[in-house]
Amino acid sequence: MSLQRRLVSIALATGLVLTGAGCAKDEAKSGGAGAASTLKIGLLGSLSGTYQAIGTDVKNGFELYLKMHDKKLGGHPIDLKIGDEGDGAQTAVPAATKLIKDEGVLAVTGIVGGGSVAAVAPLLSEAKIPLVGSVGRPELKDLSGVWTTSFMSSDPGQSIAQYIKDKVDGPVFAIGPDYQGGYDEVGGFTNEFTKIGGTLANANGKTLWTPFPQTTNFLPYFSQIKSSGAKAVYTFYAGKAAIDFVKQYKQSDVKDLPLYAAFVTEGSVLQAEGDAAKDVYTVCNYSPDLDNEENRKFVAAWRQAYPDATPTTFAMASYDAAAVLDRAIGAAGANPTSQSINEQLGKLGQISSPRGQWQFGKNHAPIQKWYLRQVRNDGRALANVLVQDLATVGA
Amino acid sequence: MDDYLIPAVDGVAYGLLLFVVAAGLTLAFGVGDVLNLAHGTLYAFGAYAAAEISDGSWGSLALAALVGAATAGAGGALLSVMLVPLAGRGHLAQALLTFGVALVAGDRLIALFGKDDLGVVVPAALDRTVHLAGHSYPGYRLALIGVAALIAAGLALLVTRTRVGGLVRATVDDRDMVAMLGISPFAVRTGVLAGAGALAGLAGALGAPIIGPGPRTADTVLMLSLVVVVLGGMGSITGALVAAIAVGEIQTVGVTNFPTIAPFALFGAMAIALAARARGLLPSGRSA
Repeated sequence: MSLQRRLVSIALATGLVLTGAGCAKDEAKSGGAGAASTLKIGLLGSLSGTYQAIGTDVKNGFELYLKMHDKKLGGHPIDLKIGDEGDGAQTAVPAATKLIKDEGVLAVTGIVGGGSVAAVAPLLSEAKIPLVGSVGRPELKDLSGVWTTSFMSSDPGQSIAQYIKDKVDGPVFAIGPDYQGGYDEVGGFTNEFTKIGGTLANANGKTLWTPFPQTTNFLPYFSQIKSSGAKAVYTFYAGKAAIDFVKQYKQSDVKDLPLYAAFVTEGSVLQAEGDAAKDVYTVCNYSPDLDNEENRKFVAAWRQAYPDATPTTFAMASYDAAAVLDRAIGAAGANPTSQSINEQLGKLGQISSPRGQWQFGKNHAPIQKWYLRQVRNDGRALANVLVQDLATVGA
Repeated sequence: MDDYLIPAVDGVAYGLLLFVVAAGLTLAFGVGDVLNLAHGTLYAFGAYAAAEISDGSWGSLALAALVGAATAGAGGALLSVMLVPLAGRGHLAQALLTFGVALVAGDRLIALFGKDDLGVVVPAALDRTVHLAGHSYPGYRLALIGVAALIAAGLALLVTRTRVGGLVRATVDDRDMVAMLGISPFAVRTGVLAGAGALAGLAGALGAPIIGPGPRTADTVLMLSLVVVVLGGMGSITGALVAAIAVGEIQTVGVTNFPTIAPFALFGAMAIALAARARGLLPSGRSA
């Protein structure tokens, strides 16, 4: 055999091997029909305690997405491990530890309380497991593995400030609960509102903070608002406090002042508030009557699966967390790891969602549009009905 | 001045509600010499009864009041029985027992009704705004002022005008003398604790829209009624009424006009009352 022929055969053989390897690689990428490995994903939500209603929405939203997609994310069958976050960090940490150590999940989603997120995030970061949170989002030092499909607490207030400035002819009274969540939510409004030249009716321009959670009687504060000469009120409350606030508002001296708020009529509280909630304006990143393809699919599937509940922003954000993981896992190769999923989460670009298009900003929270809604009778029951678009907020 | 009208009226509503609760506590102390730290829990019984039973009809509200008063009254009587082995051990042992009972019962209430603060439905006729000198005010609270005033008047009549009331007052003044007359102090104490419990339960059922049922209800109510009892002079019904209205006003007029000192004003007032007159504003006359 001449040198020339030997070289040719080596070249051919190498070529064959290379081509074969190429084929093998392609096959791995496509996952091979039915051969994809099952992945474990952890979901942590407040399934008991004060925020039980929100935790249940989070669980239902994620499970609904799985149900609509053959129980698969990115082509892989999903084994969803659910942990109960309880009332806060004290119960969330052991539940998260169980998901990380015992279950060995690839990624974690959910987590309602800001305090729970702050306590669980370092554990996940140490284990290099990405968190696709769908509700709580406190200030965090290390954002590399933390993604949020909900919003930053100051976003709703910021997005509605211009609208209120244009609509309300006079000073606006700001009132909220005396804790971090309240400062962020109401502060988002007051900062932006005063920046664009709005006037607060509060004494010295300082927001009125009511002791939390012990304030159940808001009437004295309403008398104070009345005598301040305010033309409208901006507030944020959740849970039982929201019910007390809205019910007492409508029976007090300020009942004719327009009430603008974040979250006071979102979810199960609306039913408890009943007619007292009528006409209340809220700012939200979602409304069940949004007119887009994704939302029509989402709402139809939701109504079929949970006929007694209206889809909330919490359910929608958890549904989106599943959608985001779906795309990231799909792009992370045949054997997705926590690291490769996290890497792909950063490359998603625009995300189609029931709330409309959005994308992750530099702070790993959505850049998204906000909507103005008003409580009206939608023909079947009281509902948060879409009024118009507000600003797009995010960074 | 007009700005203070609504908070002031609201303070009266709040104060009268507190009075109905604290009257029981102060009687139990004056008559039975029992420091009942489970008193707030008995209020919670009534409040939970209202949350569970009241559905917007008058009948359901009445039923809730009945169930609340009955369960809390039974709770009071049970406490009296549990206190028998502690006879002669003093207030500390009583406080430990009743506080322990309050912790256990509170835990059971959470297990039964969950950790949420529950909302309460009131009859539709009351769930609306009424006009008061050009202001708007919730109708339910106005009605509550009327009902609580009736209860207070009835209680005053019972204590001052009836034989049972005479017995109660006699026991406040001189327990040993009543025992010498052949009347069982245990029976009197049990009766008073059951009556005090029933008052707390009734207050809970009617006051649930104002101080609603939740994990913190028992503590809040106990704390406020202890302040009322101390301020009013332990064992004194009239003193409790004056003190309860004062506490109500601090909680309404105070929180908006003096937000920084209102949280301390209650205990400041109590400390001053204790320092100035160790037996309260209107002492019952019993030698301590």
